[in-house]
Amino acid sequence: MLSRRLIVCLDVKGGRVVKGVQFEGLRDVGDPVALALRYEEEGADEVTFLDISASAEERETLWDLVQRTAERLFIPLTVGGGVRTVDDVGRALRAGADKVSINSAAVATPELLTGCAERFGAQCVVASIDAKREGDRYRVYTHGGRRPTDLDAVAWAKECVRRGAGEVLLTSIDRDGARTGYDLELTRAVADVVDVPVIASGGAGRAEHVRDALTLGGADAALVAGILHDGLTTVGALKTLLRDSGLPIRSTS
Amino acid sequence: MRVTLFDYGAGNLHSLAKALTTAPDVEVRVQEDPLRALDTDVLVLPGVGAFGSAAARLAPGREAMRKALDAGLPCLGICLGMQLLFEESDEGAGAGLGYFQGRVTRLAARHVPQIGWNDVEEDAALESAKLASVYYAHSFVCRAMEPREVVGWTTHEGDRFPASVRRGKVLGVQFHPEKSSRVGVRFLQAFLKEVAP
Repeated sequence: MLSRRLIVCLDVKGGRVVKGVQFEGLRDVGDPVALALRYEEEGADEVTFLDISASAEERETLWDLVQRTAERLFIPLTVGGGVRTVDDVGRALRAGADKVSINSAAVATPELLTGCAERFGAQCVVASIDAKREGDRYRVYTHGGRRPTDLDAVAWAKECVRRGAGEVLLTSIDRDGARTGYDLELTRAVADVVDVPVIASGGAGRAEHVRDALTLGGADAALVAGILHDGLTTVGALKTLLRDSGLPIRSTS
Repeated sequence: MRVTLFDYGAGNLHSLAKALTTAPDVEVRVQEDPLRALDTDVLVLPGVGAFGSAAARLAPGREAMRKALDAGLPCLGICLGMQLLFEESDEGAGAGLGYFQGRVTRLAARHVPQIGWNDVEEDAALESAKLASVYYAHSFVCRAMEPREVVGWTTHEGDRFPASVRRGKVLGVQFHPEKSSRVGVRFLQAFLKEVAP
Protein backbone atom coordinates (compact mmCIF):
# COMPACT_ATOMS: atom_id res chain seq x y z
CA MET A 1 0.00 0.00 0.00
CA LEU A 2 1.18 3.51 -0.78
CA SER A 3 2.55 5.12 2.40
CA ARG A 4 1.58 8.54 3.67
CA ARG A 5 4.57 10.85 3.54
CA LEU A 6 6.27 13.20 5.95
CA ILE A 7 8.05 15.95 4.04
CA VAL A 8 10.55 18.26 5.71
CA CYS A 9 10.71 21.81 4.38
CA LEU A 10 13.82 23.99 4.64
CA ASP A 11 13.72 27.71 3.83
CA VAL A 12 16.91 28.63 1.99
CA LYS A 13 18.37 31.99 1.08
CA GLY A 14 21.77 32.70 -0.37
CA GLY A 15 22.67 29.01 -0.10
CA ARG A 16 21.95 28.75 3.65
CA VAL A 17 19.00 27.54 5.69
CA VAL A 18 17.33 30.49 7.38
CA LYS A 19 14.54 30.94 9.86
CA GLY A 20 12.28 33.91 10.30
CA VAL A 21 12.37 35.40 13.77
CA GLN A 22 9.62 37.81 14.65
CA PHE A 23 10.73 41.45 14.48
CA GLU A 24 14.34 40.38 13.97
CA GLY A 25 14.40 39.28 10.36
CA LEU A 26 16.16 36.09 9.36
CA ARG A 27 18.58 33.98 11.32
CA ASP A 28 21.08 31.56 9.78
CA VAL A 29 20.39 28.07 11.10
CA GLY A 30 22.74 25.92 9.08
CA ASP A 31 23.98 24.20 5.97
CA PRO A 32 21.14 22.87 3.76
CA VAL A 33 23.07 19.79 2.62
CA ALA A 34 23.93 18.74 6.17
CA LEU A 35 20.38 19.35 7.40
CA ALA A 36 18.80 17.50 4.47
CA LEU A 37 21.05 14.49 5.07
CA ARG A 38 20.23 14.53 8.77
CA TYR A 39 16.50 14.45 8.03
CA GLU A 40 16.95 11.57 5.55
CA GLU A 41 18.83 9.68 8.25
CA GLU A 42 16.00 10.36 10.73
CA GLY A 43 13.45 8.91 8.30
CA ALA A 44 12.00 11.88 6.40
CA ASP A 45 10.32 10.70 3.19
CA GLU A 46 11.21 13.78 1.17
CA VAL A 47 12.95 17.12 1.51
CA THR A 48 11.73 20.43 0.09
CA PHE A 49 13.88 23.52 -0.37
CA LEU A 50 11.86 26.72 -0.47
CA ASP A 51 14.09 29.45 -1.85
CA ILE A 52 13.22 32.81 -0.31
CA SER A 53 16.10 34.71 -1.86
CA ALA A 54 15.28 38.32 -2.50
CA SER A 55 17.85 38.98 -5.22
CA ALA A 56 19.08 37.32 -8.41
CA GLU A 57 22.57 37.09 -6.89
CA GLU A 58 21.27 35.12 -3.94
CA ARG A 59 19.22 32.88 -6.21
CA GLU A 60 22.27 31.94 -8.27
CA THR A 61 23.54 29.98 -5.28
CA LEU A 62 20.42 27.78 -5.40
CA TRP A 63 21.44 25.64 -8.39
CA ASP A 64 24.83 24.88 -6.91
CA LEU A 65 23.15 24.02 -3.62
CA VAL A 66 20.64 21.73 -5.33
CA GLN A 67 23.42 19.88 -7.15
CA ARG A 68 25.51 19.42 -4.00
CA THR A 69 22.42 18.13 -2.20
CA ALA A 70 21.30 15.78 -5.00
CA GLU A 71 24.72 14.16 -5.06
CA ARG A 72 24.34 13.04 -1.48
CA LEU A 73 20.62 12.89 -0.72
CA PHE A 74 18.95 9.64 -1.76
CA ILE A 75 15.33 10.63 -1.13
CA PRO A 76 13.26 12.95 -3.36
CA LEU A 77 14.14 16.64 -3.38
CA THR A 78 11.62 19.31 -4.34
CA VAL A 79 12.68 22.87 -5.08
CA GLY A 80 10.34 25.85 -5.00
CA GLY A 81 10.46 29.61 -4.90
CA GLY A 82 11.09 32.00 -7.75
CA VAL A 83 10.47 29.47 -10.54
CA ARG A 84 8.98 31.46 -13.43
CA THR A 85 9.55 29.69 -16.74
CA VAL A 86 9.77 26.21 -18.28
CA ASP A 87 13.50 26.85 -18.59
CA ASP A 88 13.74 27.60 -14.84
CA VAL A 89 12.11 24.24 -14.17
CA GLY A 90 14.48 22.51 -16.59
CA ARG A 91 17.42 24.13 -14.84
CA ALA A 92 16.24 23.00 -11.41
CA LEU A 93 15.76 19.42 -12.67
CA ARG A 94 19.16 19.33 -14.34
CA ALA A 95 20.73 20.68 -11.16
CA GLY A 96 19.27 17.71 -9.31
CA ALA A 97 15.73 18.49 -8.19
CA ASP A 98 13.23 15.65 -8.61
CA LYS A 99 10.23 17.94 -8.47
CA VAL A 100 9.66 21.66 -8.80
CA SER A 101 6.90 23.58 -7.06
CA ILE A 102 5.34 26.51 -8.86
CA ASN A 103 3.25 29.14 -7.10
CA SER A 104 2.91 32.77 -8.25
CA ALA A 105 4.09 32.00 -11.78
CA ALA A 106 1.30 29.44 -12.26
CA VAL A 107 -1.31 32.05 -11.31
CA ALA A 108 0.22 34.59 -13.68
CA THR A 109 0.69 32.04 -16.50
CA PRO A 110 -1.35 28.85 -16.01
CA GLU A 111 0.02 27.43 -19.29
CA LEU A 112 3.35 27.09 -17.50
CA LEU A 113 2.02 24.00 -15.69
CA THR A 114 1.06 22.38 -18.99
CA GLY A 115 4.36 23.25 -20.61
CA CYS A 116 6.33 21.71 -17.75
CA ALA A 117 4.16 18.58 -17.58
CA GLU A 118 4.50 17.96 -21.31
CA ARG A 119 8.24 18.44 -21.30
CA PHE A 120 9.22 16.82 -17.99
CA GLY A 121 6.21 14.75 -16.94
CA ALA A 122 3.40 15.52 -14.47
CA GLN A 123 5.21 13.66 -11.68
CA CYS A 124 7.72 16.50 -11.27
CA VAL A 125 5.25 19.40 -11.40
CA VAL A 126 3.94 20.51 -8.00
CA ALA A 127 1.28 23.22 -7.91
CA SER A 128 1.90 25.25 -4.77
CA ILE A 129 -1.19 27.08 -3.53
CA ASP A 130 -1.29 29.56 -0.63
CA ALA A 131 -4.86 30.01 0.62
CA LYS A 132 -6.53 32.23 3.18
CA ARG A 133 -9.98 31.69 4.64
CA GLU A 134 -12.70 34.26 3.88
CA GLY A 135 -16.02 33.20 5.38
CA ASP A 136 -16.66 29.70 4.07
CA ARG A 137 -14.36 30.07 1.07
CA TYR A 138 -10.62 30.23 0.52
CA ARG A 139 -8.86 32.91 -1.49
CA VAL A 140 -5.59 32.20 -3.31
CA TYR A 141 -2.69 34.55 -2.52
CA THR A 142 0.61 34.87 -4.36
CA HIS A 143 4.02 36.41 -3.71
CA GLY A 144 4.58 34.70 -0.40
CA GLY A 145 1.04 35.32 0.79
CA ARG A 146 1.17 39.08 0.29
CA ARG A 147 -0.90 39.53 -2.86
CA PRO A 148 -4.59 38.49 -3.05
CA THR A 149 -5.97 37.07 -6.28
CA ASP A 150 -9.53 36.55 -7.54
CA LEU A 151 -9.11 32.78 -7.42
CA ASP A 152 -10.95 30.33 -5.19
CA ALA A 153 -8.46 27.80 -3.81
CA VAL A 154 -10.55 24.68 -4.45
CA ALA A 155 -11.39 25.67 -8.02
CA TRP A 156 -7.79 26.73 -8.64
CA ALA A 157 -6.47 23.39 -7.38
CA LYS A 158 -8.72 21.58 -9.87
CA GLU A 159 -7.56 23.89 -12.62
CA CYS A 160 -3.88 23.25 -11.77
CA VAL A 161 -4.40 19.50 -12.03
CA ARG A 162 -6.35 19.83 -15.27
CA ARG A 163 -3.40 21.78 -16.63
CA GLY A 164 -0.87 19.12 -15.70
CA ALA A 165 0.21 19.40 -12.06
CA GLY A 166 1.05 15.99 -10.57
CA GLU A 167 0.79 17.10 -6.96
CA VAL A 168 -0.77 19.95 -4.99
CA LEU A 169 1.12 21.58 -2.12
CA LEU A 170 -1.58 23.36 -0.15
CA THR A 171 -0.58 25.93 2.46
CA SER A 172 -2.98 27.63 4.85
CA ILE A 173 -1.77 31.19 5.32
CA ASP A 174 -3.91 31.50 8.46
CA ARG A 175 -2.25 28.51 10.09
CA ASP A 176 1.30 28.97 8.80
CA GLY A 177 3.58 29.22 11.83
CA ALA A 178 0.64 29.26 14.26
CA ARG A 179 1.17 25.64 15.39
CA THR A 180 -2.55 25.22 16.03
CA GLY A 181 -2.98 22.41 13.48
CA TYR A 182 -3.47 22.21 9.72
CA ASP A 183 -6.60 23.72 8.19
CA LEU A 184 -8.47 20.42 7.88
CA GLU A 185 -11.49 21.83 6.04
CA LEU A 186 -9.30 23.40 3.38
CA THR A 187 -7.25 20.23 3.02
CA ARG A 188 -10.33 18.01 2.79
CA ALA A 189 -12.06 20.32 0.30
CA VAL A 190 -9.10 20.11 -2.08
CA ALA A 191 -8.33 16.42 -1.50
CA ASP A 192 -11.94 15.57 -2.35
CA VAL A 193 -11.84 17.19 -5.78
CA VAL A 194 -8.39 16.39 -7.20
CA ASP A 195 -7.03 13.00 -8.29
CA VAL A 196 -3.39 13.75 -7.54
CA PRO A 197 -1.65 13.66 -4.15
CA VAL A 198 -2.31 16.61 -1.84
CA ILE A 199 0.40 17.80 0.56
CA ALA A 200 -0.99 19.63 3.60
CA SER A 201 1.11 22.54 4.83
CA GLY A 202 0.94 25.19 7.54
CA GLY A 203 0.04 24.75 11.17
CA ALA A 204 1.85 21.69 12.51
CA GLY A 205 2.36 22.09 16.25
CA ARG A 206 2.46 18.47 17.32
CA ALA A 207 2.21 14.93 15.99
CA GLU A 208 -1.59 14.74 16.35
CA HIS A 209 -1.93 17.67 13.94
CA VAL A 210 0.01 15.74 11.32
CA ARG A 211 -2.16 12.67 11.90
CA ASP A 212 -5.34 14.73 11.54
CA ALA A 213 -4.15 16.23 8.24
CA LEU A 214 -3.64 12.71 6.86
CA THR A 215 -6.86 11.23 8.26
CA LEU A 216 -9.54 13.93 8.65
CA GLY A 217 -7.93 16.17 6.02
CA GLY A 218 -7.45 13.35 3.54
CA ALA A 219 -3.94 14.51 2.60
CA ASP A 220 -1.40 12.08 1.13
CA ALA A 221 1.50 13.88 2.73
CA ALA A 222 2.19 16.53 5.34
CA LEU A 223 4.82 19.22 5.19
CA VAL A 224 6.59 19.94 8.47
CA ALA A 225 9.19 22.58 9.21
CA GLY A 226 9.39 24.68 12.37
CA ILE A 227 8.58 22.05 14.99
CA LEU A 228 11.43 19.90 13.69
CA HIS A 229 13.94 22.70 13.22
CA ASP A 230 13.20 24.00 16.73
CA GLY A 231 13.68 20.54 18.20
CA LEU A 232 10.13 20.29 19.57
CA THR A 233 9.80 16.83 18.07
CA THR A 234 11.61 14.49 15.70
CA VAL A 235 10.78 12.74 12.44
CA GLY A 236 10.96 9.45 14.32
CA ALA A 237 8.51 10.55 17.01
CA LEU A 238 6.06 11.89 14.42
CA LYS A 239 6.20 8.70 12.38
CA THR A 240 5.74 6.52 15.44
CA LEU A 241 2.50 8.28 16.33
CA LEU A 242 1.29 8.11 12.72
CA ARG A 243 2.06 4.39 12.54
CA ASP A 244 0.39 3.74 15.91
CA SER A 245 -2.70 5.52 14.54
CA GLY A 246 -2.95 2.84 11.86
CA LEU A 247 -1.63 4.88 8.94
CA PRO A 248 0.68 3.22 6.38
CA ILE A 249 4.07 4.80 7.14
CA ARG A 250 7.47 3.90 5.73
CA SER A 251 9.68 2.22 8.27
CA THR A 252 13.37 3.06 8.28
CA SER A 253 14.57 0.83 11.08
CA MET B 1 33.76 -1.21 -14.20
CA ARG B 2 32.37 1.27 -16.75
CA VAL B 3 28.73 2.10 -16.04
CA THR B 4 27.07 4.26 -18.68
CA LEU B 5 23.88 6.26 -18.22
CA PHE B 6 22.05 6.81 -21.49
CA ASP B 7 20.87 10.42 -21.21
CA TYR B 8 17.63 11.25 -23.04
CA GLY B 9 18.07 14.86 -21.94
CA ALA B 10 15.13 15.03 -19.58
CA GLY B 11 16.41 15.53 -16.10
CA ASN B 12 18.31 14.80 -12.96
CA LEU B 13 21.03 12.16 -13.27
CA HIS B 14 23.15 13.40 -10.34
CA SER B 15 21.61 11.25 -7.62
CA LEU B 16 21.70 8.13 -9.78
CA ALA B 17 25.31 8.69 -10.85
CA LYS B 18 26.42 9.26 -7.26
CA ALA B 19 24.45 6.30 -5.95
CA LEU B 20 26.12 4.02 -8.53
CA THR B 21 29.60 5.28 -7.63
CA THR B 22 29.08 4.12 -4.05
CA ALA B 23 29.80 0.59 -5.42
CA PRO B 24 33.49 -0.35 -5.58
CA ASP B 25 35.56 0.36 -8.74
CA VAL B 26 32.75 2.00 -10.65
CA GLU B 27 33.35 4.73 -13.21
CA VAL B 28 30.07 6.39 -14.26
CA ARG B 29 29.72 7.99 -17.69
CA VAL B 30 26.83 9.90 -19.19
CA GLN B 31 26.24 9.43 -22.90
CA GLU B 32 23.62 11.05 -25.14
CA ASP B 33 24.41 8.91 -28.20
CA PRO B 34 22.66 5.51 -27.96
CA LEU B 35 25.33 3.76 -30.04
CA ARG B 36 28.27 5.10 -28.07
CA ALA B 37 26.42 4.23 -24.86
CA LEU B 38 26.93 0.58 -25.76
CA ASP B 39 30.70 0.81 -25.33
CA THR B 40 30.39 -0.03 -21.65
CA ASP B 41 30.36 -2.83 -19.09
CA VAL B 42 26.93 -1.95 -17.71
CA LEU B 43 24.20 0.13 -19.36
CA VAL B 44 21.70 2.12 -17.29
CA LEU B 45 18.50 3.55 -18.74
CA PRO B 46 17.52 6.27 -16.24
CA GLY B 47 14.04 7.18 -15.17
CA VAL B 48 13.14 10.74 -16.00
CA GLY B 49 11.22 11.97 -19.01
CA ALA B 50 8.39 10.98 -21.34
CA PHE B 51 8.23 7.78 -23.43
CA GLY B 52 7.78 9.47 -26.82
CA SER B 53 10.78 11.78 -26.63
CA ALA B 54 13.00 9.10 -25.06
CA ALA B 55 12.03 6.58 -27.76
CA ALA B 56 12.94 9.17 -30.39
CA ARG B 57 16.39 9.63 -28.83
CA LEU B 58 16.78 5.87 -28.66
CA ALA B 59 15.66 5.21 -32.26
CA PRO B 60 19.04 5.52 -34.06
CA GLY B 61 20.58 2.96 -31.70
CA ARG B 62 17.55 0.83 -30.94
CA GLU B 63 18.48 -2.27 -32.93
CA ALA B 64 22.10 -2.22 -31.82
CA MET B 65 21.07 -1.81 -28.18
CA ARG B 66 18.60 -4.69 -28.43
CA LYS B 67 21.32 -6.90 -29.93
CA ALA B 68 23.77 -5.91 -27.20
CA LEU B 69 21.26 -6.85 -24.49
CA ASP B 70 20.49 -10.16 -26.23
CA ALA B 71 24.25 -10.79 -26.36
CA GLY B 72 24.51 -10.36 -22.58
CA LEU B 73 25.25 -6.68 -21.90
CA PRO B 74 24.09 -6.07 -18.32
CA CYS B 75 21.40 -3.40 -18.19
CA LEU B 76 19.31 -1.69 -15.54
CA GLY B 77 16.21 0.23 -16.62
CA ILE B 78 14.66 2.56 -14.05
CA CYS B 79 11.03 3.80 -14.27
CA LEU B 80 10.83 5.19 -17.84
CA GLY B 81 14.01 3.19 -18.49
CA MET B 82 12.15 -0.01 -17.53
CA GLN B 83 9.29 0.98 -19.83
CA LEU B 84 11.76 1.41 -22.72
CA LEU B 85 12.70 -2.25 -22.31
CA PHE B 86 9.12 -3.14 -23.39
CA GLU B 87 7.51 -2.84 -26.81
CA GLU B 88 5.24 0.18 -26.91
CA SER B 89 3.57 2.71 -24.61
CA ASP B 90 0.22 4.43 -24.40
CA GLU B 91 2.12 7.50 -23.18
CA GLY B 92 3.72 8.28 -26.52
CA ALA B 93 4.63 7.14 -30.00
CA GLY B 94 7.74 5.22 -30.91
CA ALA B 95 9.19 1.81 -30.20
CA GLY B 96 10.83 0.53 -27.07
CA LEU B 97 13.57 -2.07 -27.16
CA GLY B 98 11.11 -4.98 -27.01
CA TYR B 99 13.47 -6.97 -24.80
CA PHE B 100 10.45 -7.75 -22.63
CA GLN B 101 7.12 -8.57 -24.25
CA GLY B 102 4.23 -6.36 -23.31
CA ARG B 103 2.78 -2.88 -23.48
CA VAL B 104 3.08 0.14 -21.19
CA THR B 105 -0.32 1.44 -20.07
CA ARG B 106 -1.69 3.99 -17.64
CA LEU B 107 -2.14 3.03 -13.99
CA ALA B 108 -5.73 1.94 -13.39
CA ALA B 109 -6.26 3.94 -10.19
CA ARG B 110 -8.01 7.09 -9.06
CA HIS B 111 -4.83 8.78 -7.86
CA VAL B 112 -2.42 9.09 -10.77
CA PRO B 113 0.52 9.70 -10.77
CA GLN B 114 1.46 7.36 -7.97
CA ILE B 115 3.92 9.42 -5.97
CA GLY B 116 5.44 8.05 -2.81
CA TRP B 117 6.75 4.98 -1.04
CA ASN B 118 5.17 1.60 -1.67
CA ASP B 119 6.02 -2.02 -0.88
CA VAL B 120 7.42 -4.62 -3.23
CA GLU B 121 5.74 -8.04 -2.94
CA GLU B 122 7.29 -11.37 -3.93
CA ASP B 123 10.64 -9.62 -4.43
CA ALA B 124 13.09 -11.89 -6.27
CA ALA B 125 14.96 -9.30 -8.34
CA LEU B 126 18.37 -9.79 -6.74
CA GLU B 127 19.82 -12.49 -4.55
CA SER B 128 21.84 -10.26 -2.26
CA ALA B 129 19.52 -7.30 -1.62
CA LYS B 130 15.94 -7.48 -0.46
CA LEU B 131 13.57 -4.62 -1.06
CA ALA B 132 11.35 -2.98 1.51
CA SER B 133 9.39 0.19 0.82
CA VAL B 134 10.70 2.02 -2.27
CA TYR B 135 9.95 5.35 -3.96
CA TYR B 136 7.67 5.61 -6.99
CA ALA B 137 6.80 8.59 -9.21
CA HIS B 138 4.94 7.40 -12.31
CA SER B 139 1.67 7.38 -14.23
CA PHE B 140 2.38 4.36 -16.47
CA VAL B 141 3.24 0.73 -15.78
CA CYS B 142 4.56 -2.24 -17.78
CA ARG B 143 2.05 -5.03 -18.48
CA ALA B 144 4.51 -7.91 -18.85
CA MET B 145 3.27 -10.75 -21.07
CA GLU B 146 5.59 -13.34 -19.54
CA PRO B 147 4.74 -13.78 -15.82
CA ARG B 148 7.96 -15.68 -15.12
CA GLU B 149 9.96 -12.53 -15.94
CA VAL B 150 8.18 -10.52 -13.24
CA VAL B 151 10.42 -10.57 -10.14
CA GLY B 152 8.42 -8.23 -7.91
CA TRP B 153 4.93 -6.74 -7.69
CA THR B 154 3.43 -3.56 -6.28
CA THR B 155 -0.20 -2.58 -5.79
CA HIS B 156 -1.63 0.92 -6.09
CA GLU B 157 -5.36 1.25 -5.34
CA GLY B 158 -6.20 -2.16 -6.70
CA ASP B 159 -3.92 -2.08 -9.73
CA ARG B 160 -1.21 -4.73 -9.24
CA PHE B 161 1.69 -4.14 -11.60
CA PRO B 162 5.28 -5.37 -12.07
CA ALA B 163 7.67 -3.57 -9.72
CA SER B 164 10.55 -5.36 -11.40
CA VAL B 165 11.21 -7.62 -14.37
CA ARG B 166 14.33 -9.60 -15.10
CA ARG B 167 15.74 -11.91 -17.73
CA GLY B 168 19.41 -12.76 -17.48
CA LYS B 169 21.44 -9.65 -16.71
CA VAL B 170 18.73 -7.23 -17.78
CA LEU B 171 16.66 -5.82 -14.93
CA GLY B 172 13.88 -3.27 -15.10
CA VAL B 173 12.47 -1.55 -12.00
CA GLN B 174 9.45 0.76 -11.90
CA PHE B 175 10.60 2.45 -8.68
CA HIS B 176 13.57 4.78 -8.23
CA PRO B 177 16.35 3.02 -6.28
CA GLU B 178 18.39 6.24 -6.28
CA LYS B 179 15.53 7.93 -4.38
CA SER B 180 14.77 5.02 -2.06
CA SER B 181 17.30 5.92 0.60
CA ARG B 182 19.57 3.21 2.01
CA VAL B 183 17.45 0.32 0.69
CA GLY B 184 17.74 1.65 -2.86
CA VAL B 185 21.45 2.43 -2.77
CA ARG B 186 22.14 -1.08 -1.49
CA PHE B 187 19.98 -2.45 -4.30
CA LEU B 188 22.09 -0.62 -6.91
CA GLN B 189 25.31 -1.87 -5.35
CA ALA B 190 23.97 -5.42 -5.29
CA PHE B 191 22.87 -5.23 -8.93
CA LEU B 192 26.34 -4.17 -10.07
CA LYS B 193 27.95 -6.88 -7.98
CA GLU B 194 25.63 -9.53 -9.38
CA VAL B 195 26.02 -8.65 -13.06
CA ALA B 196 29.64 -7.44 -13.01
CA PRO B 197 31.64 -8.90 -15.89
